[in-house]
Amino acid sequence: MKKLLNDPYKYVDEMLVGMCAAHPEIYRQTGEGGRVIARAGSQRPDKVGIVSGGGSGHLPVFTGYVGHGLLDACAIGDVFASPSVEQMAEAMKVAHAGAGVLRLYGNYGGDVMNFDMAGEQLEMEEDIQSTTVLLADDVSSAPPEEGEKRRGVAGMVYAFKIAGAAAEQMRSLEEVTRIAQETADSCRSVGAALTPCTIPQAGKATFEIADDEMEMGMGIHGEPGVWRDKLKPADDIAHEMVDRLIADRAIDSGDRLSVMVNSLGATPPEELYILYRVVKKRVEELGATIVMPLVGRYATSMEMSGVSMTFCFLNQEREALLQAPARCAFWQVE
Amino acid sequence: MKVSWLQDQLPQLAEHLESSAEELNGLDAQLGDGDLGVTMVRGSRQLLEIREELPDDWGMALLKCAQAFTKTSGSSYGTILATGLMAMAKQKKGQAEMDSSEWAGLLKVALEAMQHRGKAKLGQKTVLDPVSAAQKKLESDPETGLLDLIEVVQQTIDEFRDKPCQIGRARIFQDKSIGLDDPGMVAFKRLLEGIVPN
Repeated sequence: MKKLLNDPYKYVDEMLVGMCAAHPEIYRQTGEGGRVIARAGSQRPDKVGIVSGGGSGHLPVFTGYVGHGLLDACAIGDVFASPSVEQMAEAMKVAHAGAGVLRLYGNYGGDVMNFDMAGEQLEMEEDIQSTTVLLADDVSSAPPEEGEKRRGVAGMVYAFKIAGAAAEQMRSLEEVTRIAQETADSCRSVGAALTPCTIPQAGKATFEIADDEMEMGMGIHGEPGVWRDKLKPADDIAHEMVDRLIADRAIDSGDRLSVMVNSLGATPPEELYILYRVVKKRVEELGATIVMPLVGRYATSMEMSGVSMTFCFLNQEREALLQAPARCAFWQVE
Repeated sequence: MKVSWLQDQLPQLAEHLESSAEELNGLDAQLGDGDLGVTMVRGSRQLLEIREELPDDWGMALLKCAQAFTKTSGSSYGTILATGLMAMAKQKKGQAEMDSSEWAGLLKVALEAMQHRGKAKLGQKTVLDPVSAAQKKLESDPETGLLDLIEVVQQTIDEFRDKPCQIGRARIFQDKSIGLDDPGMVAFKRLLEGIVPN
């Protein structure tokens, strides 16, 4: 393991302190043990709160997306480990400004269990109304007929952005939840990994892969993918990823969608742009229009090298909300 | 019985779980991450800490017990246990009395909630199996005492020993789990043992 760290058990806590110190105008640390990140400043009264949460190791997901037009608060666990029920409940309390709270996060067993439990506790204790929308956009993680079993990956960035903008417009919890759900339903993602990453506390790589191999469809925690073979040329990889996405949801002529080509951590933007040119050509050949493409590091898996591709299908409402202003330390939309 | 009954049992429960910690960690380490004993000890220490503050309302008292586990651990077992306690808490909200005739009904709602949350089915070799066995026993004979329930739980542990675990992390080691007691089942037994009045 070759990492910049002190005590591996303090990895997450030291990271959060540094992140808040670097961007005090955006983030503040709260909750027991400081494992809740909330927006700096006070909540706008009667705005629906949006919270997310999950394990560390995916920056900017999840904590990074706390900010204006995005999330209100976030509970954060150790690297790749679920936050506790208590931390999730604290995040919800911080985000609640009188209009209820939407829990918006990825479909992982531990997170779902703990977040549901947190919601139940708050309902019983403090009468806070809350809803849940899960991202389940990774097409390789389960077949379409078992769509509810799919894992949530980079599609959640679109859900944070679009639901976040709806909440800023002071829409009701019901409306924000509907928009978040429709966004989640409109996202499809696929990933490919070239190298593993190392969880600081474990000290060894999450999986083994030969120097000249890649794995298509691998999850962001190293969950097994659909095939492993010799590394292919970039264009072949881009074509296959597009093929897999459109096999799951066809692109029709006239469709408008945003496309994300995302680095899983170590892959440089140069390589993402090599892939993007193929994606753009393919989408436009189908008669569709790309709106606000996102090429960069939006949802990562520590220092894994690899890429994920997400299509977010838009309608008029989602397109306007996607383009509404938002600001966090990792992403600004003006 | 009143909440004070529970308060009286908490010190010995905590003691019993402390002394079972090593056993539970060891069982868990063979199939999971080896921290089940830690989860139970942290939870029971927290229970001791809030013992004096437990409200008279059984609903709110059980909620606090659930939180003792969720507060101190992010582990799935802690959450599943807390889920069962929460389900019972909802049934008992606003009530200061609990009668042993209610146990069958309370365990039933707890079992349903735990099944729903953990997405596990009966027969997969999890804590749900002894909870279900205890619930059935109480349903058929509401007068069943704690000692008899513990016996039922032990029978379930014995019955499942040579079956493979089919869910959770242990399912990855299905074959390895054959012949091993399920750590969650054993933890449930230790919990019951801990609340038997001396």
